[in-house]
Amino acid sequence: MSATTAAPALPGSIPGPAKDARVARQLSGRRQRTNRIVKVLCIAATVIGLAFLASILATLLWRGLGGLSLTVFTTSTLPPGSQGGLLNAIIGSLIQTALGAAIGTPIGLLVGTYLAEYSRGSALGNAVRFVSDVLLSAPSILIGLFVYQLLVAPFGGFSGIAGCIALAVIVIPIVVRTTEDMLRLIPVSLREAAVALGTPQWKVIVMICYRAAKDGIVTGILLAVARVAGETAPLLFTSLGNLNWSLSLTKPMASLPVTIYQYAGSAFEDWVQLAWVGALLITAGVLAINIIARVALRGGK
Amino acid sequence: MSVTTEQSASFGGVQARAETAMNAPRIAIRNLDFFYGSNRALKSINLDFPDRQVTGMIGPSGCGKSTLLRVLNRMYDLYPGQRATGEVMMDGVNLIDAGIDLNSLRARIGMVFQKPTPFPMTIYENIAFGVKLHERLSRSAMDERIEWSLTRAALWGEVKDRLHSSAMGLSGGQQQRLCIARTIAVRPEVILFDEPTSALDPISTLKIEELIDELKHDFTIAIVTHNMQQAARCADQVAFFYLGEMVEVAPAAQIFTAPREKRTQEYVTGRFG
Repeated sequence: MSATTAAPALPGSIPGPAKDARVARQLSGRRQRTNRIVKVLCIAATVIGLAFLASILATLLWRGLGGLSLTVFTTSTLPPGSQGGLLNAIIGSLIQTALGAAIGTPIGLLVGTYLAEYSRGSALGNAVRFVSDVLLSAPSILIGLFVYQLLVAPFGGFSGIAGCIALAVIVIPIVVRTTEDMLRLIPVSLREAAVALGTPQWKVIVMICYRAAKDGIVTGILLAVARVAGETAPLLFTSLGNLNWSLSLTKPMASLPVTIYQYAGSAFEDWVQLAWVGALLITAGVLAINIIARVALRGGK
Repeated sequence: MSVTTEQSASFGGVQARAETAMNAPRIAIRNLDFFYGSNRALKSINLDFPDRQVTGMIGPSGCGKSTLLRVLNRMYDLYPGQRATGEVMMDGVNLIDAGIDLNSLRARIGMVFQKPTPFPMTIYENIAFGVKLHERLSRSAMDERIEWSLTRAALWGEVKDRLHSSAMGLSGGQQQRLCIARTIAVRPEVILFDEPTSALDPISTLKIEELIDELKHDFTIAIVTHNMQQAARCADQVAFFYLGEMVEVAPAAQIFTAPREKRTQEYVTGRFG
């Protein structure tokens, strides 16, 4: 290649154009072959991934839709063979997910803001970021056990609120990471422009940075909600599950994932059917959250 | 002499400026040093900014002219490891003293940046944002202030029907004039321009230059530019910076036609930098 570029400077002492063209053809041919191979590999990987996803969704629809009826939403879980529904599990999941997100989101937002805006490479900031990242990848069953030790064992019983706290602990590191990342993406020039008007730092953060990073931060919160909506392990040791109708946060509380876990492994056909319906409901719910968020954020622009 | 004639020709219109007498200084810098960590970026700067006149600052990249601008409104305070020593006197107060209230200082010394930086909100809110930080105005007084600042920034006619739509939808030149409106709405005494037209097309550039000419009746202005024609057109006095030193300051016509220093002459005639 260098011979080609040097050609005009050294006339006579360089290989002729014919040879250059041959080398160029060879190189170009090799590049095109490599390009084709990589392209085929990429497409294959995509197809395999999508095929698994499609097969999961198809099975879910196939098995779930059959059992979907009004009684699922109007009746609580009942003994096998008595036409039970999932009302208590649906409401329990909504309560625990909503409360978990409501507790975890503000903490996550504040920690993320601290990391992005105030810590500036301090030892404390780095330590907090490290711990948060470890928590992000911690097995969720450990979080369940932790909350069990903290809120279940000392108070002598499983409770809905313990489930909420366990979910909140999962929400926090997700919101911390996305908030910090999104705030760091804001150009320095925007912050400086606000500072140059005489804006105090907290107002720069609240009125400029949060606004500019709004889309990304909201997406992070919704990701966290979607994640905890399907969590089973942290609830097994905390809210336990409840086959009866209960809205009390101090008593065991039902949830869709735990009910699915209990029903899917049972020997009763109608319970297995309800487990499929529950799985379909969670998937549809998470999908709906994502779609609504995207539409709402796009509409805001 | 040949250089002088060339320059009078290519910097046409400068002669008029040569007659301008310099006003009393609004800001006086004495023995200013600036450090990025241990790197001394400004070396014993002495420079006056005459009241309600335009001071242009020119020099090759990295010569310290933007650094000096960021000393005046204490922008460097945002970054640990940056510090200034010396005197930057305004109304008998040293602006680089530790005890200065930075937010009220920045209300008195506004800044317009190289890239337009509209906030992610409506045009109206963009301007009201800065005003609300320092004053409590009634709804009608705020409306009036916004019309006044947009008019002064030569933008009112273009945006008066869309004040409540997002500022992000404006063109680059309009956004920069919005930033100027936002700065003057706070009613500062001094406005710092850091290469305000380097990201703009020639027509927008011309508008901003006309604007600066207009604004100097009320504001003391400092402008950093890489464009020497711009310095010649806009500035009453021009300071030439090189490697952290202020080499020469003189009325614009003199800098471009008969500079005292050889380095200045070489720079303005395009022989280096």
